[in-house]
Amino acid sequence: MELKLTKSTVRSIYKAVISIALALVVTSVLFIATGANPILAYYYIFVGAFGNLNLTVETLVRTTPILLVSLGLAIAFKCKVWNIGAEGQLYMGAMAGTITAVSLGNSPLTLPASILVAILGGMAWAAVPALMKTKLGINEVITTFLMNYVAIYFVQWLLSFPFRSPDTLFPESAQVPQAAVLPILLPTTRLHLGVVLAIAVALPLVYFLMIKTTFGYKLRAVGENPEAARFGGINVSRTIFLALVLSGALAGIAGLFEVSGIQFRMRGSLSPGYGYTGIVVALLGQNNPIGVFLSSIFLAAIFNGSSTMSRVLNQPQGVVDFIQGVLVIFVLGSEYIMRYLEKKGVFKA
Amino acid sequence: MMEWALILGFIAAGIRTASPLLLASLGETVVQRGGILNLGIEGAMLMGAFSGFMGAYLTGNLWVGLLTSIIAGVLTVLIFGFLVIRINLDQVVSGLAINLLAMGLCLYFFRIAFSQGAFPYLGDLIGPYAIPGLSQIPVLGEVLFNQTVFVYIGLIAVPLIYFLIFKTSFGLRLRSIGEDPVVASYLGINVSRIRYLSLIIEGALVGMAGGLLTISMFNVFDSRIVAARGFVAVSIVILGRWNPWGALGGSLLFGFTEALSLWIGTFLVGPAAPSVSLLLRMLPYVVTILALLVGGRKVRGPAALGSPFSKE
Repeated sequence: MELKLTKSTVRSIYKAVISIALALVVTSVLFIATGANPILAYYYIFVGAFGNLNLTVETLVRTTPILLVSLGLAIAFKCKVWNIGAEGQLYMGAMAGTITAVSLGNSPLTLPASILVAILGGMAWAAVPALMKTKLGINEVITTFLMNYVAIYFVQWLLSFPFRSPDTLFPESAQVPQAAVLPILLPTTRLHLGVVLAIAVALPLVYFLMIKTTFGYKLRAVGENPEAARFGGINVSRTIFLALVLSGALAGIAGLFEVSGIQFRMRGSLSPGYGYTGIVVALLGQNNPIGVFLSSIFLAAIFNGSSTMSRVLNQPQGVVDFIQGVLVIFVLGSEYIMRYLEKKGVFKA
Repeated sequence: MMEWALILGFIAAGIRTASPLLLASLGETVVQRGGILNLGIEGAMLMGAFSGFMGAYLTGNLWVGLLTSIIAGVLTVLIFGFLVIRINLDQVVSGLAINLLAMGLCLYFFRIAFSQGAFPYLGDLIGPYAIPGLSQIPVLGEVLFNQTVFVYIGLIAVPLIYFLIFKTSFGLRLRSIGEDPVVASYLGINVSRIRYLSLIIEGALVGMAGGLLTISMFNVFDSRIVAARGFVAVSIVILGRWNPWGALGGSLLFGFTEALSLWIGTFLVGPAAPSVSLLLRMLPYVVTILALLVGGRKVRGPAALGSPFSKE
């Protein structure tokens, strides 16, 4: 994979670094306000994420769903299709894949079939807003978001009634058969095949798709100027439809890997908001697959590391939510700072 | 007689559930008339809900909660305004960013304020206030004049916002910006100023809409409390064709749907009852999507809606 550092890539990197730095500064102020030493806090976040082999593997395990979701969102965002329904697509993909796995039982086909059905589930859930957008001109931001609620209540209903496991007290599915479980690659850790599939297969594929194919070119053209793209002979509706449905497919895989690699059952609490974290990651990574990869490791590390930090320093859980929220504002605000610095001549415009 | 009382109770409940949607969609109608699509109202409502809760909880005074929710709503919407007006960024992305910011801030600040497992709630809610005289009118009095202050504010705001948009010079400027900000700017209208003013109006209404969820409807705070009401409000603006009276109609439609989805559940008996009531939770979202499918096709809003504008 060759990496050409064009002017705009360098600018994107500056923006990402500025926004991360500012988000960490603001979070430091919060740490000081709640009586924690920020340097110590970041030290424990780092140790909690990469302190030893097992913790590092856990960070990669956490990276996997975030990476898959945000790669899909990068495709959609590249052509300015604002899919904020990845959470619902993830749930529907995982649910469809789990039903497939449980019904097929222990057969060599179980794992590939459940992955395929999860992809289809995520795609189908994204296809509804995609059709409403391309055929009727209905804003996809509203429909994708509303469909998250439909998906989550529907999955809750499926898990509470028709597909409830008879052997547990909670609304959850039966355990998936052994043949559906993603094999563990490093004994005594949770490094499952899905981690490798996400980083070594999905990432290069999306990179290739976005940078090297005509479809990638179409995505960019439609995103930059749909009128000009249409004039240039690009089928804008089809590009938008495919972008949205592809992002649904990747969200569906993300959901299934959580079931087949981590939870082994479908649960209503499968995702702690990966569909929304994916939005932050795609924006921070400026819709570039490499940028998205680095950003998803960064957020996964903060996700895992902050729970260690909270325990050691006796801080409330989930500072990751705060950092994520502040970060996304600075990702946008960094544009202002860049323009200011360029005007002052600190960076060349 | 029994059924009659039940039906009146249901209608009153529907109007009550419609009130956050009404306040939010009126605010969004104002800014969209000026050409700004603010999808950050979901987040602004959440900030209103959280600040209203904290204000009321810490002071023990619900009216302070109302005030803090309005302030939080205005501040949140002004951050959005800075992103889209000052830096001229994409309105959709900026709105989403505001929603994520609000989610992060409210989740974490709530955890800082209350230890894990604590379940703080507001004792006395802002309950119904019967308007003397009017509430004695049979039927109408019960469903319309024995409501919370938020319902009255929402109902009074409809003609006021209508007047503001269509009968004042501010409204005329706002609408001309919404059709073509470049032309409006040539005509000497201060586009940014009018847009900021419209956002402040929206922020107050949306913050209040959020505050009423905690201080008048649920008496607890949860980071999921807004539950897409902001996005439903944006749908209402489209379905109501950017008109305050349309917003009233749309809010009542969805308010009644939400009330109905809860109301039916209380009447169900038998083994299938829990299953059906859980399924009914999807109803408000499904109805909103279907309504957009029917009434949201290729509608024509303000011509410049969502497009960036910079004077340079």
